[in-house]
Amino acid sequence: MRLGIVRGHVTLTPAIPQLLGLTLVVLEPVTMANLRAKNGLGGGKSLVAVDALGAAKGQMVAFTEGSEAANPFWPNRVPVDAYCTLIVDSITTGKS
Amino acid sequence: MFLARIDGTVVPASKHATLEGCRFLVAQRLEADGSASAEPLVLIDLLGAASGSTVLVSTDGDIARERFGNTTPGRMVVVGIVDPASNGRAA
Repeated sequence: MRLGIVRGHVTLTPAIPQLLGLTLVVLEPVTMANLRAKNGLGGGKSLVAVDALGAAKGQMVAFTEGSEAANPFWPNRVPVDAYCTLIVDSITTGKS
Repeated sequence: MFLARIDGTVVPASKHATLEGCRFLVAQRLEADGSASAEPLVLIDLLGAASGSTVLVSTDGDIARERFGNTTPGRMVVVGIVDPASNGRAA
């Protein structure tokens, strides 16, 4: 999983049926330098992920990418390739 | 699979229900020359890897599905800890 900061939410009208009712968040991935600096900055290329945890704007999440991102919808098949797996409370890192 | 160095631990505020009780680590993927990638990764740890250690990571979700069920979004799992004597480098 990578780390990303929630920058906003996406509303789709219309969308394919498999995506209706899902919450979509815009994530900005976090670089190691920004994570260590704890500056609230991301630095990576933005992407959209499904969020079922209720992550708020500004919160950091860990997101799964690839076909595993669709596992929570098993056995349904949904075209999802990024999924918020956990919301970060805190991160402790060692030496820089 | 790839090698990564453990930088620290993640305390989740909430997580997918299938991953209840899991330990999550922050790590950086390592290149062949030992340098670390610029983006941190969050790994699921089943082995108790310590901060600073080098681990082998599998990105295959099968091991996560086997352990946490078909609906788990878990993917990057620590599948081994590199023997410190080998320094994580090829012999």
